[in-house]
Amino acid sequence: MPNIDFKQLFHRLTSPYMIIDRQYRYVAVNPAYEKAVMRMLPELEGRSLFEVFPNDGESGKALRDSFERVFATGETDTIAYIPYDIPRPAAQGGGMEKRYWTAVHVPLTDDEGSVAFLLQNTVDVTDVVRLREAASLPYRSYSPETQLVERAREAESAHRSLLAESAEFRRMFEQAPGFIAVLTGEEHVFTFANEAYTRLIGGRQVIGKPVSDALPEVTGQGFIEMLDHVYTTGETRGGEGTRVMLQTASGDLQERYLDFSYDAVRNLEGEITGVFVQGMDRTEAVKTLKHQRLLLDELNHRVKNTLATVQSIAAQTLRAAPDLVTARKDFEGRLVALSKAHNLLSQTAWDSTTMRSLVGHELGHYDGSRISTSGPEVVLNPKASIAVAMVLHELSTNAAKYGALSGEAGRLDLAWRVDEANGDLRIDWRETGGPPVSAPSRTGFGSRMMNLVMRGELNGAVDARYEPQGFACALTIPYSSYGRIKHVD
Amino acid sequence: MSTDAAGELEGLSVFVVEDEALVALNLEDMLLDLGCTIVGPAMRVAKAQEMLAQALQADVAILDVNVAGELVFPVAEELATKGIPIIFATGYGQAGLPEAWHGNTILQKPYTMDDVSGSLSKAVRRS
Repeated sequence: MPNIDFKQLFHRLTSPYMIIDRQYRYVAVNPAYEKAVMRMLPELEGRSLFEVFPNDGESGKALRDSFERVFATGETDTIAYIPYDIPRPAAQGGGMEKRYWTAVHVPLTDDEGSVAFLLQNTVDVTDVVRLREAASLPYRSYSPETQLVERAREAESAHRSLLAESAEFRRMFEQAPGFIAVLTGEEHVFTFANEAYTRLIGGRQVIGKPVSDALPEVTGQGFIEMLDHVYTTGETRGGEGTRVMLQTASGDLQERYLDFSYDAVRNLEGEITGVFVQGMDRTEAVKTLKHQRLLLDELNHRVKNTLATVQSIAAQTLRAAPDLVTARKDFEGRLVALSKAHNLLSQTAWDSTTMRSLVGHELGHYDGSRISTSGPEVVLNPKASIAVAMVLHELSTNAAKYGALSGEAGRLDLAWRVDEANGDLRIDWRETGGPPVSAPSRTGFGSRMMNLVMRGELNGAVDARYEPQGFACALTIPYSSYGRIKHVD
Repeated sequence: MSTDAAGELEGLSVFVVEDEALVALNLEDMLLDLGCTIVGPAMRVAKAQEMLAQALQADVAILDVNVAGELVFPVAEELATKGIPIIFATGYGQAGLPEAWHGNTILQKPYTMDDVSGSLSKAVRRS
């Protein structure tokens, strides 16, 4: 090989050449370049191109973008047409000079093979452009040179807008709220997946992998078959609220519900080249709907049960009442007792009430000086709350009608405690000083209800005694019946 | 009251599972008025199963579906093996029942005495 002096070659090239590093600092320039930019090497070396030739406009950005592409991709980049004004040296009058250029940017690699420098060949086409600007003639009369520049200018602007458009689309797809992926070929290889898609699949990197490798868990769930169908027939496939099990970032399988569609991607010849995947993760909406359904069912259940309870109270009251006026009074009293218990439960979102609040609500409207109530703070679950409220209502109504609260002198002592040994709640109802009492000849609603509630519903005990000093009643409710149960949703 | 049904139901022994005391009380009264005898009421699933284990005798059963937070179906299955006809009492209607039990008579809460006698006749005739 002949011994060519490449430094000399660079020096002798008649076209302007320069080399910059990754910080866009001048490393080398040839005399043709010096002449074109009206600057000598010592003024340029080590300084950034944008420092010597600042440009905050479109052109500065276009040039910088081109440099960045070369350093990022290692591929040659061409700017067919770029207006780039340069400062005139003071010796030549100063100010800015309008210039038009074409530029080719070629990557130069270092010993490790990474792009370290960029070689620019730039041609000043200002004269040709000026020629075009000066010409008032129609286009067809332009000189071939002018036409060439004209075409270069058009090609450059089309190229830039395509680049910008494609970047814009990519950015939009990337940030779209729905998930988007593009699969290519019959193996359905991922060539694009946006942020929402990546989130859906637990952050896994899938680009370049076939679906069956990238997302092994979807095999057997019917999706790959659907993709095959779209790829072979071109028909669109999809689903609404379709259930899929997908692996999360921690590796567990998680149930998701998706609205999605698979559409064939075709090339310019109309041949299918892949599948466009898009959709929305509807999991939260589906879960909310299911939860609402559950709540509605629960509400319906409670309403129907409450209506059945009210129906029973009405039937029992009417059955036992001597006349309609009494029936109405008794019915209202029982309904209000039930309603008060519901109010108390509503305050805690149907979680619980306390003995003290129930007692307060049931006995509050009687003469407080004749009643003593005492007991610790005991929390009751909803079922026990309603039951105790109804029982207290029956006992207090009876006391007011026939017992200690019916006359002027009697009194009522109500005490409750929790048995330390087994957690049983013991309620002690004791009337004294009232008219003499005796067991009723027939079992009325009150005692039937108390027995059924205490024994059947709460699995507890009732001990009612008609003693000489007055009516007394001991109620026992096991902890398992009144304690709050932790519900698992 | 539907008197013709009452005659047909005279002496019928009815197993009742119902957790709401007041509802159970009312059902008891209705059944007594119809001339039936009552087995129970069992107010918990465990109690119902205990009664079944002790050779329970009944011509027909009226089961609340949700018994103190538990579903009654294990009891229903045991009754079905014994060949005892089952009526489900529920606020949900048929939608609250698994498909396997859709053939059974349903007593929608709240129910009247006519509803009770009607469903009893239907359940007994079907068996």
